[in-house]
Amino acid sequence: MTRERGSPYAPHADAEMAAMLDAIGVDDEEALFDIPEGVRFDDEFGIEPRSEQALRRELTALLAKNDDLTEFMGRGHYDHYVPSIVDSLSQRAEFITSYTQYQPEITQGFLQALFEYQSMLVELTGLPVANCSMYDAATALAEAARLADRVRQASGTRVLVPEFLRSGKRGVLDNYLAGAEMTVETYPMDDGNVDFDALTELVDDETAMVYAENPTVRGTIEERLSDIGDLAAENDALFCLGTDLVALALLEEPASVGADVVVGEAGVLGLPTAYGMGLGLFATREEYLRQVPGRLVGVSEDAADKRAYTLTLQTREQHIRRERATSNICTNQAWVALRAAIHLAWLGPSGLVDLAEDCVRDAATLAERLDALVGLQAPIHDRHHFREFVVHTDQPAAAIAEDLETEGYAVHVVGEHLLQVCITDANAHDADGLVAAFEEVL
Amino acid sequence: MFEVPDDLRYMESHEWTTTDDVARIGITDFAQDELGDVVFVELPDEGDELTKDEEFGVVESIKAVSDLYAPISGTVVGVNEALFDQPELVNDDPYAEGWMLEVEPANEAEFDELLTAEEYREQTE
Repeated sequence: MTRERGSPYAPHADAEMAAMLDAIGVDDEEALFDIPEGVRFDDEFGIEPRSEQALRRELTALLAKNDDLTEFMGRGHYDHYVPSIVDSLSQRAEFITSYTQYQPEITQGFLQALFEYQSMLVELTGLPVANCSMYDAATALAEAARLADRVRQASGTRVLVPEFLRSGKRGVLDNYLAGAEMTVETYPMDDGNVDFDALTELVDDETAMVYAENPTVRGTIEERLSDIGDLAAENDALFCLGTDLVALALLEEPASVGADVVVGEAGVLGLPTAYGMGLGLFATREEYLRQVPGRLVGVSEDAADKRAYTLTLQTREQHIRRERATSNICTNQAWVALRAAIHLAWLGPSGLVDLAEDCVRDAATLAERLDALVGLQAPIHDRHHFREFVVHTDQPAAAIAEDLETEGYAVHVVGEHLLQVCITDANAHDADGLVAAFEEVL
Repeated sequence: MFEVPDDLRYMESHEWTTTDDVARIGITDFAQDELGDVVFVELPDEGDELTKDEEFGVVESIKAVSDLYAPISGTVVGVNEALFDQPELVNDDPYAEGWMLEVEPANEAEFDELLTAEEYREQTE
């Protein structure tokens, strides 16, 4: 392969490569690596060159294969309207970079934005330490379990999670913990919420962490969080609470119900639901500061006594202490966190509460309207709901969902006779259409 | 010149220990100077067992993190808790106020395997 003109990713010409190899005394760059034959790629990529115009035509045709459906789907990905200020500010050239803000002398603006993001999480959770993001809610949960393993005195390695848990979260958790020799077990749910008596039976001094969600994956509001917090504390287990930014505007502060770690999806704000991208929120107690995974932005003063931001406590990270790093995640979602922070700032405290109240009111109204239809019962759980709820269908749920698709609407099938419906400010104006579509297909 | 008290024994990795019945352990003047401002010290709990040459804790400065190695085997009977609030004591006074652990030695013969002050001085010159 010739590099006479260099490449934007390896900008060295052959002559420069030769000079460097000569300086360190090796014949060719292969001598610098030891890559086993079995994992070497020795083939053509098979990518045909195309003009930009041809590529656009091809991709447009591919995208046209997607069904044009109005989604009432939730279960972890929530479509809130993203105000245009988020795009216009986050797409400023100063912010468009894939690089971590290592160099405070050139990234004060971005570092300040991330510090603001952390500060908003601190305010919403009541916990004094928040990192400036993980990949998504699933990795944040898995990192919380690893944190539990590091900070607890006792030797137990059991992690207890609710019976109703999104399979994606469970899969990431299982993967993470297989290497750490921790075990994941489920505890039963009772009418959508934690079956507290059953959980009490299961928690013991071998339990490293108890995980609960509020709202639950079925959209119900968990009512016994303080009891779960106390139960975990009595057994020297960490209490990890899964939630999200919008819900936190209305829910009791996680710190006051004994949460040691709060995880969840911060991408509910600032991020469209497309592509399944996430933004993991992670907040915890100050005593675990040096065990927190991911990046932290701290505020200090520069030589001229001016306020200055910097990535701090990096000695926990693998580029400084590989073997004893608190996490092997070395990337974060800085730009996405920036977008969430802009969205949050734009809403302001009262705007956020208004948005959250809509999530309660609209879900209750829609459930009531569906419940009035013959052949549907909604919600099936006799609880307060946030954004989403489960509907019982007399006919097979899968068939109804399929018929709804032909009417232009998408909902989740969660059981033989169960559908899950999610409503937010982004699709609330289509609620009439959804109800009409249900009437049509029942 | 760094201070290297004659009555202590040393490790190549810059820990010192007294040779008393309850030995005190810390890091040397040279080590604190190399590390720079110490901001955090992680130490074992009372009752924990140390094994000679194995890690017993971590000292973190503004520019580095170093593992601490046990000069001798034994049981931890004292931890300098002042360091948790004032880790800078390690810089200010590494042989006195900045001590880290008190250990009941499991095998006193291990003291003889450590460097003398003179040998340690040679290493750091």
